[in-house]
This record gives sequence, structure tokens and C-alpha cells, in this order.
Amino acid sequence: MGNKQTIFTHEQLEAYQDCTFFTRKEIMRLFYRYQDLAPQLVPLDYTSCPDVKVPYELIGSMPELKDNPFRQRIAQVFSQAGDGHMTLDDFLDMFSVMSEMAPRDLKAYYAFKIYDFNDDDYICAGDLEQTVTKLTRGELSAEEVSLVCEKVLDEADGDHDGRLSLEDFQNMILRAPDFLSTFHIRI
Amino acid sequence: MLSGDRVNEIVVEVENVPPRVESLPSSIQIFPEKSRVNPTFGMVSSISDIDVIDSQVCRHSSDTKHHQLLQFSASLTDSLSQTLHGPEGPGTDASCASAEASQGQKLIASLIPMTSRDRIKTIRNQPRTMEEKRKLRKAVDKERSKQCPQTLELRCCAQCLNSCSRGFRRSRNGVSELLNTTSLWQKTLKVIGGKFGTSVLSYFNFLKWLLKFNIFSFIVNFSFLVIPQLTVAEKNTLPFTGLEFFTGAGYFRDTVMYYGFYTNSSIRHGGSGISYNMQLAYLFTIGACLIICFFSLLFSMAKYFRNNFINPHIYSRGIAKLIFCWDFTVTHEKAVKLKQKNLSTEIRENLSEIRLENTKLTFHQQLTRLSAHVAAWLVSTGVAIACCVAVYYLAEYNSEFLKTHRNPGAVLLLPFLVSCINLAVPRFYSMFRLVERFELPRHQVYVLLIRNIFLKISIIGILCYYWLNIVALSGEECWETLIGQEIYRLLLMDFVFSLADSFLGEFLRRIIGKRFITSLGLQEFDIARNVLELIYAQTLVWIGMFFCPLLPFIQMITLFIMFYVKNVSLMVNFQPPSKAWRASQMMTFFIFLLFFPSFTGVLCTLAITIWRLKPSADCGPFRGLPAFIHSVYGWIDTLSGRPGYRWVVWIYHNLIGSVHFFFILTLIVLIITYLYWQITEGRKIMIRLLHEQIINEGKDKMFLIEKLVKLQDTEKRANPSALILERREVEQQDPFDLGEQAAVPDLRLRQSFQDDNSKA
Repeated sequence: MGNKQTIFTHEQLEAYQDCTFFTRKEIMRLFYRYQDLAPQLVPLDYTSCPDVKVPYELIGSMPELKDNPFRQRIAQVFSQAGDGHMTLDDFLDMFSVMSEMAPRDLKAYYAFKIYDFNDDDYICAGDLEQTVTKLTRGELSAEEVSLVCEKVLDEADGDHDGRLSLEDFQNMILRAPDFLSTFHIRI
Repeated sequence: MLSGDRVNEIVVEVENVPPRVESLPSSIQIFPEKSRVNPTFGMVSSISDIDVIDSQVCRHSSDTKHHQLLQFSASLTDSLSQTLHGPEGPGTDASCASAEASQGQKLIASLIPMTSRDRIKTIRNQPRTMEEKRKLRKAVDKERSKQCPQTLELRCCAQCLNSCSRGFRRSRNGVSELLNTTSLWQKTLKVIGGKFGTSVLSYFNFLKWLLKFNIFSFIVNFSFLVIPQLTVAEKNTLPFTGLEFFTGAGYFRDTVMYYGFYTNSSIRHGGSGISYNMQLAYLFTIGACLIICFFSLLFSMAKYFRNNFINPHIYSRGIAKLIFCWDFTVTHEKAVKLKQKNLSTEIRENLSEIRLENTKLTFHQQLTRLSAHVAAWLVSTGVAIACCVAVYYLAEYNSEFLKTHRNPGAVLLLPFLVSCINLAVPRFYSMFRLVERFELPRHQVYVLLIRNIFLKISIIGILCYYWLNIVALSGEECWETLIGQEIYRLLLMDFVFSLADSFLGEFLRRIIGKRFITSLGLQEFDIARNVLELIYAQTLVWIGMFFCPLLPFIQMITLFIMFYVKNVSLMVNFQPPSKAWRASQMMTFFIFLLFFPSFTGVLCTLAITIWRLKPSADCGPFRGLPAFIHSVYGWIDTLSGRPGYRWVVWIYHNLIGSVHFFFILTLIVLIITYLYWQITEGRKIMIRLLHEQIINEGKDKMFLIEKLVKLQDTEKRANPSALILERREVEQQDPFDLGEQAAVPDLRLRQSFQDDNSKA
């Protein structure tokens, strides 16, 4: 298309287009959003692949994320070091998975990781309690929260080991067709 | 739900069950291995043993899975190797890393023979970081360029094809970016989603989708019908008053808007010899529009069914859904807080429902409930039938009324009445919820929807009957234009009523809710009612397209304005929904509605028109013919005179015109449907069996874990001294530092420990 942009090389843009669900224009638009978060930190020239990480505080202040109860977990899951500080790759990856073009299995995988607070590849009762607390903002009493966790494990735990594995989670998501449209951040 | 290759994988997995059990003994042999590697560390924690067993089992089963799922197990073994810390780490880490590397090789090997489009799709769907995906892509490209160096011409061709397909993809992306089809109203939709969530957003997405239909129909009609007609347009002698915008009659009667204006001749320009047959163009253009709408609806419906259809027998009460389907599109701070509050309320209700599940109603209560339902259904059906009868008699009376009264505004009486019915009766139906009680609130929504659909479809049905049986046979000059005008008036009156409802009705409701009766609060956006109104309008457009080719243009403008009006009204007069609304299931249902009664009804109406009715004698492209379809018969007759077009005539006579062909086709379709149905039933049984198997495997796992724990407990109790001695050895690096008496019993004990393990 003959864009005169000098931020990425042609190969870099091609690689981004092949590895995410975005078109060239959307990738450029996302880059400018990323750059706006920290104008002094993010260079306008990515041809040399600089190693730049935008700290979590700035990511968490984006209008799309700032009121999301799970913003910290989202940033942790998609950042490489697990600390919430994201490079441009992580940033693009995050919005690519949360876009409407991503398939259900990919979203289910990342949703599982987001809800797995202790990173042990299982959603145990502790993870569920933290999820419910974040979702209801302290409106439910502790007894109600534990009752909810119990019910969720009853419903979704297929192999009855007291915690949800990825397969249990995916199986449950199959019964919830709204998941595809709700696990979606528009940018 | 299950794609083709996934099902194959499930079949393979069933056969693989025995090997999984066999893998267990091999994992138990890890113990002697480990004790050989780390003789000082005999006490192995039971949990990490189980994890090792798990990873072994995972690795066995993952080898047979589809390559996409390899990544899930690879990442799992990754994290598992991280949890296996301590001296036993290096041994298992090395094996884990080598397993992962071999899986990576397998992935690359499976990606190489794929087409470039499939490859990109697979790479995109990998749950890996961007860096890993880039490396994967580079590795695959390198392998592909290495793999066939001798077939240079083939490589060139394949590269050409690759670059062609890539160029095509890029240009398609560029064109869609140019046309901005996806980013039309992007910001507005984002704000709506941010404040009200996915459910209300689904209404606006539906509106946008219908707009695309109308834009397409308008472009096709404009290019193939309006423009050629404009080149041979006759002068319009009628006076123009402002009332035409509402009545559609008067000045508009002799414009390209209506059927009657179109010529029936072949348009010829400048003696170039190319003639444009208006009759055929009219029929084929409308036909092409409808066929493309048909396929588009069919594919959308299939896509929604595939994504959103739930097997009813595994439906759950849904508290897990409430927890895990948090709406990430909501970004407005107040909306998030409200949503959290609503979610808490819903969870509490769900919990209390679960607690009250087992309360049974007494016979008396059941009887009252049943009688309330029956009464409500009788009343609603009676009201719908009464409205239809009223519309029919008014329509009949209308034609006589119009003959006596020359007031041009009098034609608006029938549309006015129909719009009033469409406004008042659905709200009357909603009031039934005060009397009727349902077990599930979901049932209430469905029943209300069914009643409204019945009302709207019967009104359209009665009107079609009236138009096709009375107006068309009444002997009026240019009855097609009359029908077109009626439909135009209906559509416009509907639009005016919607505007009035949004500006006045909703505004008044907000004032009442805020100032006077504050307990009512703000209203919530009634998605079902609004979507049904859209479907009703679109049905009218499709019917009217034959009689008034510019109707899609009018509907386009209407939808455009409605979007902005509804958006403003939503922001000002409404609050976010308090209950979870199953947006995906509802959308599937609405698209099915759009297809099944709506579009198929339109096709039936048009089929009756084209095959049975006699066109008017002195207006329109089909004037003078005994039926509309005779233009096609005439065309086939002229074609059979020309030798070059024999194949068209053959197709017409033997495929389209012959009964045997359709009979055989129907039979084949029925057989295929029956086979697919049986396959689906078989798969349902398979799913149920596999589900039971998963539960059994879980129970087996727990049983084995308990058994192992017991075994280790008994060993601990049998050799408590060995435990203490071995622990001391762990602290001291050199086992031979101890005295000889300690060393000899250690060796003996270690020997017995190994013996025990090999026996187990």
C-alpha cells in the first residue's frame, strides 16, 4: 500500500500481521496508543528492536483497562516476566487475543490463566474466592463467597479433584456461548 | 462445536485409553531411577510424584492429539518442570526440555505442508508469546526453503502462488479498510459497549448488519435498474407538494421509485446494437438481490448455530457462567460498579434458587398457575386475531373510503392504525407478567417474544393476503404501484412512530421515573422488542422491493437515522441492564427468525406474485403479459432460436423446469440430512460416555493417590530409623564420614528401600 512509515521494517510489520489478528493499519494505530502511554520511554523507531517495557501503572491506567476488575491479572498474564510491565510485543499480543477475531480456544486458554491467581495451572478454591471477590467488590459475605465457590466446583469440576483444570474450564466455556462476545476488549 | 479434526482426535483418544493405564507402571520405575541418581535423597514427596505421573500421562496422550493441543501440554509440562524443584530437578527438567523440543519439531513439521493461509491461521491460534510465534514462523519458513531444493520450477510456481495469495489477502484487507465496513461507528459502539455491556451492543450490531443488507440491495438495484431507466426517463408532469414524503403518491408515482415507471421495452442507445432488456433485468436483479440475501442469512445462521448452540442435556443452572463470563467490554467506571452490584444480586438470587429448587407447588397452586397461563394465551391470541380482522376490514373499507374522499392524506389511515397496533399491543402483552408466573425468567422472555412475533407476522400476512388477492385483482390501473405506495407508507409511519417513541415516550418515562414515581427508576433497554421492530421493517422492505425498487434506499436512511436516535436516547433515558441477557443465544434466535418466518414468507409472497398474478395492462416492465414469469418463457423461446445458447435452454428445460430433477434433489438432501442427524446422535452418545469416563478417571486418580500415600505411610512406619539416618546423610555430603557401623546399616537399608520400590 506504500505507507511511508519508518517505525517498523517491512518484515517486522509482516511478522506482526501474521502473528496477530490485526491488519497493518490497526497495528500502527495500536503502536501509537502504546507510544502515547509513555512518550518519553517508547522510541518512534522500532527497526532496531529496542527492549522497552512500559510499566504496569501506565498500562493499568488505559481507559480500556482502568476499571476492569482483572486488569492486574491481564497485564501479568500477557507480560513476559509476569510482573505486568509490557513490551510492544506483549501489548499487541494482549489486544490480539482480546479482539473479536480470536478463536474460542485461544481465549479460553488465556482466560484460564487470568483466573488462575497462583499460577499453578489449576483454578483451585482459593483462586475462585479471589475471582468472586474481585467480581462482586465485597458485596457478598464470606459465607456466600465460599458457597458460590463450592457450587462452581460442583458444576464445572469434571474429574472431581477439587480444582478446575484447563480441560474442565474449556468444557464449561463450551456451555457458555456468551464467552466469545464478553471476553472482548475493543480498542 | 466439534470441528471435524477434533472429532477424529476424540475417536483416537478412546482407543488410546489402555496405553494410558500402562504408562503408570513405567512412571513408578522412576523411583529406582531417582534413587540411583540421588542416593542420598530417598524421601520423595508424594505430590511431586503424582505430578510426574501426570506429566508422563500427559505426554503419552499428547502425542496422539492434534498439533494445536500439543502446545497446551507443552506449556503444562513447562510449568510442571518448574514446580519440580530440588535435586530431582535436573533429571526431569532434561527429559521435559527434550520432550518439549521434540514437540516443537513436530509442530514445525506439521506446519510445513500446510497452505500459507492455514499456516498463518495456526500460528495465530497458538497460545504463545509474540517472540515465540515469530521464531516459529521463521523456523517454518527456513525449513520450507530447505526442504525442496531440487524442484526449482515447482518452488517458483509455489512462491508465485504464495505471493499472489498474500497480495490478495493484503489487498482485501486494504479494501475493507478503505470501505470502513468494520470501523463504521466503531467509537460509538465502543462507548455503548463500555456503558451498557454486550447485550445492548448486540442490538446495535444487528442494526448495523441489517444496514449492510440494505446498502448492498440498494447498490445492485441502483446500478441495474435505476440508472438504465433514468436514461430513458419520461418527463414527470405531476405537481410536487410536500405531502409526497408521507404518502408516497402524487409526484413520486411517476418516478423511478415505483414499478409503474419502468419501461417494458429493450433500451437501446445510439444504434450500438446492445440492447438492455428491462423485463429480464427487473426480474433478475430482484432475484439476484434476494438470492444473495438468502445465502448470506443462511451462512450467518449456520455460523451462529455452530458457535452458540448448546447441547440441551448438559445445560447447567449457570452460576459458573456468571462467574467466568464477566463482560470485559464494560469500561465506564459507573457501569462497572453497577454491573458488580447487579452481579452480586444475581448470584444471591441464583444461590437462593438452588436452595429453593426442591420446593414443590401444591395442586391448587399448580392449577391457578396453569389457568393463568391458559387465560393469558387465549387473551393474547384473541387480541392478535382481533387486530388482524380489524386491519383487514379497514383495508377493505379503505379502498371505498378513498374513492369517496379525495383528500390525499386519507391514505395514511391504514398505516396509522397498523403502527398503533404495533405500538400498543406489545406493551399490553408485557403487562401480562403481573398475572402470569413462570418458573424461570427465561421462559417469560421466550413467551413474550413468541406472542409478539405471532402478532407481527399475522399482520403482515393479512396485509399480503389483502394486497395479492384484493388489490391485484381489483382491476385498478397499475396495482403494483399502489402496493408499493402502501408498503412505503407503512414503513414511513413505522419510522415516525419509532422516532416519536424515542423522543417523547422514553423521555416521558425518564421524567416520571426520576421526578414523580422515583421507585420506578430508569427503564432498561428492551432488546427483544426493538429487534422485533427491526425484523418487521426489514420484512416489509423485502416484500416491497419488487414493487418499489428504491425501498432499500429508504430503509438505509431510516436505519442510519434510527442508530443515532436510539444511541442518544439510550445514553439519556436508560440504565444498564440488571439481569444477564443471553446475547449470543438471543442473536441466534433472532437471525433464525429473520430467516424463517420473515425471509421465507417474503419468498412465498413474491413467488405467488410472479407465477400467479396478472401484471397491469399499461404500466411497468411486464405490461401486457399474462403473468410476470412469461417474460422468462419468452426469453427462453428466443434463446432456443439461437444455436449458441442451446445449453441455457437445456438447463432450463431439464433442470429448472423439470419435476423429476427436484424430486431426486429433494430425496438426496433428505438422505444426507438423515445421515447427518444419525451422526449427531452418535456423537452425543460418545460425548456422554467420554464425560462419564473423565469422571471415572478422576476417581481412579484420587484412589491411586490415596493408595500411594498409604504405601508411603506404611513404609515410613516400617522404617522410621532409616528415615532419620538418611536425613543425616543428606546434611553431610560424604556418606563415609560416619563410622563403619552407621555406614553398613545404611547400605543395607538403602538396599531394602530399592527392593521395596522394585516390588511396588
